[in-house]
Formats: sequence, structure tokens, C-alpha cells
Amino acid sequence: MKEPLKTWRVSSGSDTGENGTTGGSETLTLNMGPQHPSTHGVLRIVLKLDGEYILSAEPVIGYIHRMHEKMAETRTWVQFMSNMGRVDYLNAMAWNWAYAGALERLGQIDVPMRAEYIRVIAAELNRISSHLVWWGAYLLDLGAFTPIMYAFEDRERILDLLQILTGSRLTYSFFRPGGVAADVTEDFLSGVTAFVKDMKNRLDMYKDLVETNIIFRGRSEGVGILPLEMCRRYGATGPVVRGSNQAYDVRRAEPYSVYDRFQYNIPVDPDRDAMGRYRVRMAEILESLNIVEQAVEQLPEGDRIAKGAPKPRWKPPKGEAYFAVEGARGKIGIYVISDGNRNPYRVKLRSPSFSNLSLFSELAKGTLFSDAVSILGSLDLVIPEIDR
Amino acid sequence: MEGLRILCRAENVFDRTGKTGSVFVKPDDIIASARRLYELEYFLEDISAIDTKEGLVAVYHFDHFINPGRVALHVIVSHESPVIPSISDVFSGAQWHERECHDFFGIRFAGHPDLKPLLVPDDLDYYPLIKEADATCSLDDLLDPGEIVDKDPAFNLFSDGPPGEQAREQSNPVKADSTHSGFGVES
Repeated sequence: MKEPLKTWRVSSGSDTGENGTTGGSETLTLNMGPQHPSTHGVLRIVLKLDGEYILSAEPVIGYIHRMHEKMAETRTWVQFMSNMGRVDYLNAMAWNWAYAGALERLGQIDVPMRAEYIRVIAAELNRISSHLVWWGAYLLDLGAFTPIMYAFEDRERILDLLQILTGSRLTYSFFRPGGVAADVTEDFLSGVTAFVKDMKNRLDMYKDLVETNIIFRGRSEGVGILPLEMCRRYGATGPVVRGSNQAYDVRRAEPYSVYDRFQYNIPVDPDRDAMGRYRVRMAEILESLNIVEQAVEQLPEGDRIAKGAPKPRWKPPKGEAYFAVEGARGKIGIYVISDGNRNPYRVKLRSPSFSNLSLFSELAKGTLFSDAVSILGSLDLVIPEIDR
Repeated sequence: MEGLRILCRAENVFDRTGKTGSVFVKPDDIIASARRLYELEYFLEDISAIDTKEGLVAVYHFDHFINPGRVALHVIVSHESPVIPSISDVFSGAQWHERECHDFFGIRFAGHPDLKPLLVPDDLDYYPLIKEADATCSLDDLLDPGEIVDKDPAFNLFSDGPPGEQAREQSNPVKADSTHSGFGVES
């Protein structure tokens, strides 16, 4: 185990649980964003600073609010699927899944086994590509330029593969209630097998490239220590709560699809800091690769979509259904309510980034300004998902 | 949920609705209910609302990191005075969810530290998810109460017996009278 770096690091308030201050009397109000590289989109944070210490940090969101929940009520149940690719542009597959799953639970529709495996392959590849963008962008925030070049090279291979499968590169509308839109091809499967093999080697190289870097360690170890109690108060999920040493993963907690047929671990980290969240995501890339490998091996024959799957003018029974999946950023939940008509009565989108960002204000209080950038990056935010 | 005044408590089949339990409480009891869930180490999943014929229904979803099982807390308030005490002192994350509900439905959360618009523009003068009166549905049609295990005699939103079309039809005359009958709505 490496030696902790705290001996030379400037001690910020977060280490002691108290606000750091300079002792001076002047404060500075600073706008970070809405156009700022480290906010990863149109997010604005109003900072009150005492020297370089943060007295308060208030995120201001809603700049790209599109009212998806109202849009749902003006479309038919099946039409709204295409909105799901636009909620989180890095992890569209998981949102596809959450919505398809909600409709399947509402209409009690069975999904063919082959479709479930295709879903797993697509969603896990999408998780890896999402984590790769985070990896590159986070290190870019911390001043390392090279990693994003490597990350995008590998992400490109995933996008090419998913393009074969879905026809799109980013805003997938690949899932259908009752199955998926297209079957896998031989090209796709052989491409996935080759990618999984290569990516495992690349992952080791990634770790060698950055994990021992003194600047990276200095800016992430001991920064943004997030207690589990705080995760509960804010509803933080995904790698954020697993980075706080709680093995909570929707794939295990609320088992869905065929995830119970694969061997994989839920990575956690005892350090609860930005580095902990970093390590969790890196370990998750490997776990996802393992799941993809097993899913390709076990892929059964069969239909890609259920017979009698909902058509665009499908009317579900009256009632409600909540369906949650494990997205790249945490728990994605979709709550649907039907009055038996062609249009949804109510669709509620529970986005993990929304809850994960809401704790930033408390977490950043008393830290150094530069640490706030590191904390923000370690939460892996996607702004369209927060604003919806 | 011992020691709380519960209007209606139901057990749900997870594979049908995605939750294991569903509880209706009065607006005044929401903070105590949230505190109880906090003590039981639940985490706040989300807060949303539904516009129904009987009023605005705020839905609080909670889940557990160690013993998963979604619990839904419901509070019904009238369209005329939609006020619910804020639970942001218990679950800090509720601050944003409550602001969102205020943006979309105009529900006022009493005691919220700063109930300003979160997602919508500051000068928006309507609530986007409020439906026209003739487009709203009755709560009994929308929610799946599951198996009701405990019910206040004054609470008459859901028909007795197993959910089904027949039971719903029978309950219709009762339901028409029960609109704004005072359950959950503090007079």
C-alpha cells in the first residue's frame, strides 16, 4: 500500500470536518460556469470564497431543462422511448432499459431470453464507454491531458460496435418494451470478443499511466470525504455510494434481467474520497468487461422481441410501476402511472446525477477551491440528466 | 412504522409495482414518518407528485442500502391549498426534490429553507404538470394499493377487497361522495 500524501498536502477543512478559513474578513463571490470546462456542461456554481477556501457553493441548474416528464404525457407510451436516449447522452442504454422495464412491469410483459442477453451486452458496453469518458474528463480537470486521448480511442471502438448493433452512436433508442430493436450480428459479436480482450490489457496500461502520479494522488486522496450517512440523506447511489464503502448495486439489490446468471463483483472502496470513487469506477470497467464476456459466451438462441410486444398505439392496463436499473452514475428509476390510455398519465424520471450533485454543496463547504473541482469531477455528472 | 398515525398501509408485490410497501399519511405526519425511515437507515430515492381528481398526491420513495425494498409514502393535499411540511431537515436531499415538485405542481413545502425555482425559469407563471380538471383521474384508478393491511376508518380512497375491475365499479358511487372529504387534507 502506498504511503498517504497528507504530510505535504495543504490541509483543507475537509480533513478535520471544520471549515477552513484564512481568518480574513473579505469574501469573494465567484461564478463557476455555466460555461466552465470542469462543470462538464451547462452547470453554474455560485461560490463564496474566503481566500481559496469555499464558504458556500450553490449549484444552479436548469439551463437545459426540457421537461421530459411533460413530453411523456403528450406522446404514446412507446413513442416516448426515443426521449430516453436524450436524457443521459453518455449512458443512453441504461435509460432505455429503465423505461422499457417500467413498461414491461406495468403491462406484465415477458422478455425473450435472447433479448435479455443482448440488453446486458449493450448496456455493459455503454457503461464502459461512459466510464471511459469520465476517466478522461476527470483527469483533464486535474490537469492531465493525455488520458482523454487514450480513453476516446477505446471509446471509439465501443461506439463503432454499438453502431453496428443499434444504428446510432450516442442517443440510442435501441430497447423496445418486450425486447430490443435488432438482433446481434456475427460482426458485432466477434468485434465485442476482440474488444474485451484488448480492453483488459489497456486497462492495466491506464492504471500504470496515472494511478501513481504524485499530482493526481495529491488532488484526489483525502479530498471530498463522503460519509455514508450523507449518501443516505441525499440519496447518492452508484459509484459515489460504493466509493463510500457501501456495496449497493441495483443489479444485486433489485435483481432484474439475467444479471443473476453472471459472476461479477461489486467494487467498493473504504477511503470514501475522490480517489476511492476513482478506483471503484476503474474496477467497474473490468467487472463490466467480465459480464460482457460471459453474456457473449452464454447468448441463447431465440427471438429478439416478445410476440405481441407493444405497438406504438399500445394501451397498458391502469396502474403504476417503478423500475430501477444500475446506470453508470447510479440508480436510474422510472415511475410510470397509467390511466389505461395511449398516453402516459405521469412519468417520473429519477436521475442519479441529480441526487449525487445535490450533496456537492455540503461536501465542498470548507474545502479548497481546487479540491472542489476534483470533487465535482469525482461525482461524474451529466448535466442533461440532472436538468431533464 | 409503529407509533405513527397511518391512514392506509398496503403491502405490494414487488414484481407488479416495483415496491414492497405503500403508506398514506396526513401532511402533518410526514416529518415524523421521514424521521422514522431515517432512523431505520432508509435513503431518499425521489419525491414526485401526481395530479388526481382527489387532489395532489406527493409520492416519496425510499429504499434501503442493506435490505432493499422500496417504500412509498403518500400525502394528499387539496388543489386549493397544496401545503406539505418540508422533510429537508431530515433528508437534506429533499430540498431539490421539493423545489422540483414546487416547479411542476405548485406544492408549497412549509419550512423549506429556499423554495425558489430549480429547473424552470424564474418568471414561469404556471405549473407545467397540473392537468385540466377534466383530464384528471381518480386515485383509485391510478395507484395499485396492493393488499391493504391497515386502514383508518376515515380513509376511503381505495375500495375494499382485491383490486379488480369489479371492485372498482362497485366503489364508484362511494368514491364520488368521497371527493375532498377531509382525509389527509387539514381543514
